[in-house]
Amino acid sequence: MLQLHRSTLIASCLALVACVFLYATLGIAKPLHLWKWTDIVSEGGTAVMAGSWVLFTLSSRPGGLVTRLLAGGLAMIMVGSFADCMDEFFAVSKAARWDHWLEMLVPLGMLVLTCGMYYWRHEQFRLNEHLQKRERLFRDHRAFDRITQLANADYLRRQIRHEQAQCPGRPCALVLLDIDSFHLINREFGQREGDRVLQAVGHMLLLNLRNDDLLCRYAGDRFALLLPDTGVAEAEAVARHLAAMVGQMRHHAKNGRVSISVRHACASADTDADVLLAELGRVLATSAQSAPSTSPGRLEQSGQSAQAAQAAQAAQPTQAIHSAQATQPTQTTQPALTTQPAQVTQSAQAMQPARSAQMPRSAQPVSVAGASA
Amino acid sequence: MIAYRQSNDSFILARHQPALVLDYARSQEIGGEQLLRGTGLTDDEPPAAHVLLAPQQYLQLLANVMRTLASSDTSFLLGQQMLPGHYGALSHALLQAQNLRQALDILCAGHARLCPLLTPRWREEGMQGSTQGAICGGTPSGTDGGTQGGTLSGADGGIQGGVHGGTQDGRGSTRGGMAVLYWTDSFGAPSQLPALVEMHMAAVTAMCRWLGGERLPWRYCLNRSAPSHVEQHEVHLGNDLRFNCQFDAMLIDPAWLDRPWPRGNALASAAALQGVAGEAPELVPSLLTALYDYLLENIRLGPTLEGSAAAFGVSPATFKRHLARHGSHFQAELDQVRAHVAIHLFQVRGYDNEAVAQYLGFHDATNFRRSFKRWTGLVPSLLRDALLRG
Repeated sequence: MLQLHRSTLIASCLALVACVFLYATLGIAKPLHLWKWTDIVSEGGTAVMAGSWVLFTLSSRPGGLVTRLLAGGLAMIMVGSFADCMDEFFAVSKAARWDHWLEMLVPLGMLVLTCGMYYWRHEQFRLNEHLQKRERLFRDHRAFDRITQLANADYLRRQIRHEQAQCPGRPCALVLLDIDSFHLINREFGQREGDRVLQAVGHMLLLNLRNDDLLCRYAGDRFALLLPDTGVAEAEAVARHLAAMVGQMRHHAKNGRVSISVRHACASADTDADVLLAELGRVLATSAQSAPSTSPGRLEQSGQSAQAAQAAQAAQPTQAIHSAQATQPTQTTQPALTTQPAQVTQSAQAMQPARSAQMPRSAQPVSVAGASA
Repeated sequence: MIAYRQSNDSFILARHQPALVLDYARSQEIGGEQLLRGTGLTDDEPPAAHVLLAPQQYLQLLANVMRTLASSDTSFLLGQQMLPGHYGALSHALLQAQNLRQALDILCAGHARLCPLLTPRWREEGMQGSTQGAICGGTPSGTDGGTQGGTLSGADGGIQGGVHGGTQDGRGSTRGGMAVLYWTDSFGAPSQLPALVEMHMAAVTAMCRWLGGERLPWRYCLNRSAPSHVEQHEVHLGNDLRFNCQFDAMLIDPAWLDRPWPRGNALASAAALQGVAGEAPELVPSLLTALYDYLLENIRLGPTLEGSAAAFGVSPATFKRHLARHGSHFQAELDQVRAHVAIHLFQVRGYDNEAVAQYLGFHDATNFRRSFKRWTGLVPSLLRDALLRG
C-alpha cells in the first residue's frame, strides 16, 4: 500500500527537512544549558506519534479523498509539532512571524483531520451496507476467512449466544448448508478450483439473503446461516430456495463445467450453540451417507428415495430438525438425472410466491445495488 | 542390532510431500524467504528431482506454513491431498487398493515414504471371542500371547459388544470387534503433534472416502482436550469425535475392512507393490518407531535403557543423546508404550487393574494404579469407564 502514496511520503519528508533548514539558517542555535528537555520530549514525541499515524493510515488505505484528508491532517500536525520542537534548539527573533505560522499547522491539521473523519464516517456507512450480511452488530477482523471473506464458526457461535441473550423468545433459525461431493471437486479439478467454487457459492448465497441474515463459513464446504426472527418452517423454505439457486448456478472450471448442489439442515436456534451445531452436523452427515455420489457435483437425487425414510427417522427424535431429504419428497422421486435442472427451475419458480407468502417481513431478494458488490 | 534413522537424516524427496505443501502455500498466495527459512529449500520453483529433506526440515516447512496462514483448517487441507499422493509405486498401489484392509496394509508397510512424520499402526480386535489381534505395521509384536488371553476370552465377547454398541449405522455391528488405526510420533515434534495428527487423520479419511466412494463411519480418538476449532474436525473428519483420549486413533467396524472398493484392481496393485522394492531402497524405521516396536515386543520383560541401547547397537549415553535430539527420553517412551498396552488390555480384553498389573509385571494393583496415573494423568478406573462408555 505504501508504494501508492510515495509522493505524499516524499512531500512530508521534504517538509521536515525544509523545517530544519529554515530554523538552521534563520535562527541562532541555543546553548545546551538552555534546552528544556520536557518541552523537547513532549513536542518531539507528538511529532513522532503523528508521523507514525500517517504511516499507519497510508499503509492501510487505498488512495482517495478520505485518505488524503486523514493523512494530510496528520502530516500537518506532525510538521507543526516538529517546528514547535525546533523552537527549543534555535532562537528565532521575536519580530519574525514565520515560526508562528509554522506552529499554526497543528490546529489547521486538526481541522483537516476532522473533515477527513467526517467523510470517513460516510464511507464507513456505505461499507457497512456491503458487509451487513457478513457481520452483525460487532466487528472482529480476525474472524474472517481468507477465501470467502465470510465470518468463521467462532463468530457464528458468539452471534447465536448474542441473539439468545438479546431477544429471548423471539424465533431464530439456524441453517447448515453443505456442498455435495465437494471432496470430489477438489480431487478432480484441484484445490484452487475448489476454493473458487466456495467463493461462488458464498456469493450466490449472499445475493439471496435478507439484510438481517448472517452468512458464515462454518468449516470446509459447510456454510451456516443465522436467520433472526424466522421460524423453522420459514427457514426450511429459505434453505430450499437457496439450494435451488445454487443448483441453477453454472460454474465453469478449466476443463469443463462443474455442477454444484447443496443439501441442508435447519433447526430453531434456541439451545446451546455447540450442542445445536453438533446435532445439525449429524443430520447433514446422515443425509450425506444416504446419498453417496460417484461423480463431482452431479445432482444426485435418484438414490435417495430408499434412504429418505431413514433420514426422516434420524430427524424424528428432535422434531425441530428437518433434513433435506425428509422434506423434499418431490425431488426424491425424480427418476432420471437429466431432467433435474428443469425440475429444479420449476420448483424454484414455484417456491418464490410461497416463500414471500410465508414471510410477511421483507422477503424480497436484496436490491441489486447492494448485491452487486 | 536394530538400525534406525534420525530426524536429521535426509531421505524425504522434496518432490514428494514438501512439494505438495509448497503448492498449497502458493495457492494461498504466501511464499518468499520466511516460508523457506530452515527448510533447506532454496526458492519457490518446484524442487529439483534429487533434493532430499530431513524430517526436521519438512517439519520446519509445515510449521512455517501454518504460522503464516494462521488458519485452523490448514492442517486438514494439507492432509486431504497427502494420500494417496504422487509418491511413485506406493501411491499407485494405494490408488488400486481393493479394500480398506489392503489400503491400511500398504499404508503401514510403506509409512516411511507415504507419511514420514507419523507412524501408523493398525490392528483388528476381538473377532467373535478370538483374542488374537494381529498388530500390523512396524514389527509384529508379541503382546498378545500369554495365558490370560485364554482364561479371559469368555468375558471378551460381552465387553466388546459393549464397546461397540455405539456403531453409527449398525451395518455389520453384529460381528463385534473393531479395527484400530493409531498414530505415534516418528521424529519427535511434540509442539506440532496436534496439527500433524489432524493432518494424517484427514489424509486417511479423505483417501478412504475417495477410493471407497463413500464416507466411512470412523470414530476419532484424540489425545488432546477439545479445541476451539472443533468444527474443522466435524467437517473434515466426522461427527464421532472423542477428545481427552490417551492416544490418537481411528476406530472402525471390521465389516468395512473387506468391503470392495470401486477402483480396486488386484492385478494393478500387486504389480505396483512389486515395483516398490525396485524403485527405492528399503528405509529402516525412525528411532522412535523402532524403539516403540522394540518396547512393545519386550514390554513384559521389563526393558531398560541399557538393554535397549545394546539391542540398538549403541552405548547408553549415545542412545540417550539421540533420544534427546528427538525431544524425548527413554522413560517417556517406555511409559507411552505401557500406557498404550494397558489401554488396549482394558478396552479390548476387558482386563481389570489386577490383570493388567500382572501382565505388565507390577507387584500389585496399587503400584500399577499409581504408575498409570503418572503416565496418563488419570486413574485407570476413570479411563476404563470413559473407554467402555463407547
